[in-house]
Amino acid sequence: MSVDTQSFTAVEAAQHPAGRGPQEKRTASRNRVTYWALLVPGLLGLLVSFVFPLVYMIRMAFNEGEGNGIVRQTFTFSTIAKPLLDPYYWKVTYDTFAMGLTVAVLCVLVSYPIALFLVRTTSKWKGLLLALALAPLLTSAVVRTYGWMVILGYDGLINSTLVDAGLIARPLQLTNNMTGVIIGLVEIFMPYAILAMISGFGRVNSQLEEAASSLGASKARVFTRITLPLSLPGVVTAFLLVFVLSISTFITPRLLGGGVVQVLATEIYDQTTGLLNWPFAAALSVILLLLFGAIIFAYQGVIKKLGVN
Amino acid sequence: MPAPISEIETVTQPKLSLVGLTKQYAAGLPPAVDHLDMEVGEGHLVALLGPSGCGKTTTLRMVAGLMDPTSGSILVDGQDVTNTPVHKRGMGMVFQSYALFPHMNVAENVAFGLQMRGKKKSQQTTSVAEALDMVQLGHLSKRQVRELSGGQQQRIALARALVVEPTVLLLDEPLSNLDAKLRETMRTEIRSIQQRTKATTLFVTHDQDEALDMADRIAVMNGGLIEQFGSPVDIYEQPRTRFVANFIGRANILRVTVGERNGAVSDRQFRYAVEVDGLGSYEAVGESGLENSIRHILIRPHRLRVEHASTPGANGVVGRIESFSYTGDALTYRARVGGTLLSAELFTSNEGIIPQGSDARLAWRADDALILPEMVE
Repeated sequence: MSVDTQSFTAVEAAQHPAGRGPQEKRTASRNRVTYWALLVPGLLGLLVSFVFPLVYMIRMAFNEGEGNGIVRQTFTFSTIAKPLLDPYYWKVTYDTFAMGLTVAVLCVLVSYPIALFLVRTTSKWKGLLLALALAPLLTSAVVRTYGWMVILGYDGLINSTLVDAGLIARPLQLTNNMTGVIIGLVEIFMPYAILAMISGFGRVNSQLEEAASSLGASKARVFTRITLPLSLPGVVTAFLLVFVLSISTFITPRLLGGGVVQVLATEIYDQTTGLLNWPFAAALSVILLLLFGAIIFAYQGVIKKLGVN
Repeated sequence: MPAPISEIETVTQPKLSLVGLTKQYAAGLPPAVDHLDMEVGEGHLVALLGPSGCGKTTTLRMVAGLMDPTSGSILVDGQDVTNTPVHKRGMGMVFQSYALFPHMNVAENVAFGLQMRGKKKSQQTTSVAEALDMVQLGHLSKRQVRELSGGQQQRIALARALVVEPTVLLLDEPLSNLDAKLRETMRTEIRSIQQRTKATTLFVTHDQDEALDMADRIAVMNGGLIEQFGSPVDIYEQPRTRFVANFIGRANILRVTVGERNGAVSDRQFRYAVEVDGLGSYEAVGESGLENSIRHILIRPHRLRVEHASTPGANGVVGRIESFSYTGDALTYRARVGGTLLSAELFTSNEGIIPQGSDARLAWRADDALILPEMVE
């Protein structure tokens, strides 16, 4: 999302102050052609792989489906109205939203100190530490989810340790429920949150912190008055990214949720591959998209308010 | 070399004293600041002047409390503040990059220190308005920091540091990010504000003109040590080491063998016979006790006269003009005398320019050749 807007503003900026003489005008128009020519491959790619499927999917949501792959070509609001009228889907949507929110909040909380440390450290190991923080990305989310199933399971590492230590009598229920899904998702999205925060901490500056403490601010007040406000753009970006990733992922909710946890993404998956009711899956996807849209709209507002250009 | 302590500072207690202040970044490295002793009188502006890496910024950061000294102590009004954390030192600092808070407007920036001190809102408003008026930017109080020019940011930073009435004002190369013209204006302005507020000020700079123009005292630093501490006139007219002579202003430095003392110029200055290596015998002045030693003499380029080779003179050498540069009001000759290159700077007159390649006599008054006390090994 942010990549798109950035590349467009870059093009606009480059085109803007061209010049006045005829020679310069010619150069400007030639430049303009070059810019668009360079954009064509990317735009074509987006058209084929993004815009067209999106339009196709939205159109699909207005067809009628009977399951088993039977799609009746028509134009009806009944498919999209179905989840909106069914309390079950309201619950699924609510659960999806709540899960996304919880994961995003927790993930930002645990990633913040790491990101702040990585931005501020002057250690010669900085590069290595950064690589370590991002290393989990080298393994797929599926593998890491299975890892968490082993750790969180009934006889898993955590439960057996706690039982052996005599801290609990019976193993805790850590998988096949929302708790497990949230734990798994928080860890899986931490590298993304760290990356997003590091890129958004551009205004965090040790000299500003020094200036604040020289003016009489204690360490706590330097943090609340200077570091935290200046790091908010990174926090907001990381929050948005993790939220969007959480509500759209189905692997972890499916595996760690053990079929008990139903969110929009798992529901869409079931409708698409299990029940083969594509119009209904498309209708649920449209709801998910609207949820994205609402969040991104709110994000733009927040970023504007933070005064980041 | 410890500098003589001025009369004013011995009478009243110094506002700020540094005692054996040392900073070593890592074992095995030479110390960045090496047993520094210095006293700053109440209301004085002292410049820490030196090339980059001389330890001046490290010293300032230790005084501010932003860096812990390896050893030594910092005293304010006779109280040891070495272990006082930065936010309780009550000093005001202006950073090289100004370090204005980008998420606050001008008035909020200036009010920050007052807020941290728990001052009442009404009092904050009054003090902020006063501070902004002092730097003549009262009309910008609601502006965002990013809308300000460099010079304006610099003034806001100064107002922010002064509004809390700091015990000591610390300025870290505050003018180095400004263009040349603005730098001169700000020089005068900072000095006049400093004198009006009577803020005891420690000022880090690598610009000798800035130091000479603004400071009551200058500490010339080199390699973590203070080479010389004194008034601008002292530092310029009576440099004690070759480094100081070279760093402040332009200098012709010649190696000499000092002979007998030939009388007194004042009660602290004496005239000596000197033998300039390979150039003959001359006279020069210096402090007592320099007889029969190897030293350097300093002759400022503008104290050299350039005459036609035939003109007789006692204190003078004949050399060949290698090049000259003419800038309208000034004329600088570079002449080779034996193995040394001397430069002479004069105001232009209608006497004409001595052409390149011809011989000229470079003459000076004995009193304008200063023997540097620093030993030459």
